[in-house]
Amino acid sequence: MNLAITELRRQPSRFVVATVVLAFLAALLLILGGLLDGLYLGSTGAIRSQKADLIVYSSSARDSFLRSRITPEIRAAVEAVPGVTAVGGVGFTLLGAVVPGESDLADVAVAGYELAPNGVPAVPPPGSGYADARLEDAGANAGDVLLVGPAKTPITIIGFVDDTSYLQQGTIWVDLSTWRGVQNANRPDSTVGDDIVQVLVVRGGGSSLGSSIDAATAGATKTLTRSAAVLALPGVKQQESTFNQIIYSTLVVALAIVALFFSLLTLERTGLYGVLKAIGASSRRLFAGVVLQAVIVTIIAFALGSAVALVAAGLLPAKVPLDLIPSRFVFTGIALVVASVLGSAISLRRVTRIDPASAIGSAE
Amino acid sequence: MTPPATTSDSGSVPGGTPALQLTDVRKVYRSGDDDIVALDHATMTVAAGEIVALLGPSGSGKTTLLSIAGGLLTPTEGTVVVNGKDISGYSSKQLTEFRRENVGFVFQSVNLVPFLTAEENLLVVDELGGGKGGKGARQRARQLLDELGLGKRTKNLPSQLSGGERQRVAIGRALFNGPALVLFDEPTSALDTKIGAQVMELISTEMKSRGTAAVIVTHDSRMTHYADRTVQIIDGRLESGQPVAHA
Repeated sequence: MNLAITELRRQPSRFVVATVVLAFLAALLLILGGLLDGLYLGSTGAIRSQKADLIVYSSSARDSFLRSRITPEIRAAVEAVPGVTAVGGVGFTLLGAVVPGESDLADVAVAGYELAPNGVPAVPPPGSGYADARLEDAGANAGDVLLVGPAKTPITIIGFVDDTSYLQQGTIWVDLSTWRGVQNANRPDSTVGDDIVQVLVVRGGGSSLGSSIDAATAGATKTLTRSAAVLALPGVKQQESTFNQIIYSTLVVALAIVALFFSLLTLERTGLYGVLKAIGASSRRLFAGVVLQAVIVTIIAFALGSAVALVAAGLLPAKVPLDLIPSRFVFTGIALVVASVLGSAISLRRVTRIDPASAIGSAE
Repeated sequence: MTPPATTSDSGSVPGGTPALQLTDVRKVYRSGDDDIVALDHATMTVAAGEIVALLGPSGSGKTTLLSIAGGLLTPTEGTVVVNGKDISGYSSKQLTEFRRENVGFVFQSVNLVPFLTAEENLLVVDELGGGKGGKGARQRARQLLDELGLGKRTKNLPSQLSGGERQRVAIGRALFNGPALVLFDEPTSALDTKIGAQVMELISTEMKSRGTAAVIVTHDSRMTHYADRTVQIIDGRLESGQPVAHA
């Protein structure tokens, strides 16, 4: 028999309010986190999936794929750097595409590549490409010919790949010559010549490889790690920081609710704790009971909140970038439990200060 | 400086280790610039198995004496020996352990854990001592409740028990660990006269059958004939006690 657990079992109504409030906060945290994850994953898949250690931009590009241009001469210089084991060109063009049978244009990112990213097969024949599953959701099927951009450049879809979207647009992975054709036909203001790519994906070892590359190109390039390149994508860092601020603020609110609720509960139990202390309960044991109750209430609230979040996710339109991933549940669950332990710790002083002599009334 | 006179009860003390020995105990509270003497050089001995009724008006120091005897308060001066253990210099942690193992308490007002059954309220003592409420502990709890006339109420919550029954559960809890001394703080004040007398009868019988000493604080002089002797306390000073004439 454990006093704290027995009280939860026998008097659950005392804990309903705190459980319900915490459940809604857990649902809110999961939905906010899911939106952040959805935005992050939808924006960065094409870069995260690159099997590369480094991304090399032209130095004037200010870390933008679309502004960057790498010439064959620069590429040769990069390839010659000791430690570089493989180099591939990449280029992106953001356009709308007509999907057969669909009235709305689908947002696409036509991506030319040489080194296959994770999950993407080897470079397809010219005029064809592997589409991100996002385009499958938009109505595309294998064998469909998508008409891309104002020039309606045809690309035949020969298969689908997962988690490779770019800035919330479904990527179509094509060979570099097809990408250049799409770019030049649809973006006449920023055409690219033969053998020009936007960036290089580089495989190789050594912590100073990036600076060696930039030195070898005499400052014509700026090299970032893959994770830095992900964060350099437009809006990603800002989205992360905004959502994280909201998430951390919500966690503080959860902590305050646990603190307030268990502080009031402890106040209400002053008489009972006095009696228990008088008959030999230590402050430590009583406080451990408060923390245990806070943790159990939070775990139940988290389970309820998770169910609410899953139902809400099912009801939201598919276009809302909400992605509830397992790691988000783990993070939110742990964060809430930590907040509940910290919140209930506020009661420690109150429990410690309860005088066992109060059980026999105030000392005369 | 002449030391102050010791105030003491004058009860006779049978042989053996006394259950309680207060020697020259003083308790002073600080209130602003003033010292308030709650207990003034009190000396008192309670023999093993003896029942002492402590009488006195409100504010006389009864509660302070009871709290010091039970290790709930530490004296400003003097020594407190319970069942041969000098607890005068015990730390708060030592006192907690001491109370758990050596003293039983029965309080005046609501003092049972409201969400535990009668049996579980007794097992709390076992749990606080690190026990798991195993078969032996459960058996002892049921036996005690049976002896206290609550054999059929073991699964009832305090809210389902009458005032007298609740107080009997509290007595069972106080006796659960087999203490040498049980301290009662006005155990009948919340009960009507008839039930109060029944409870006092029960206390007397249970203490005597176990050879457990008891100090019973009461306002009600009608309850004193259940004790072996009475001790008066006025303004923190113990007055001469007297044996109770039993019919």
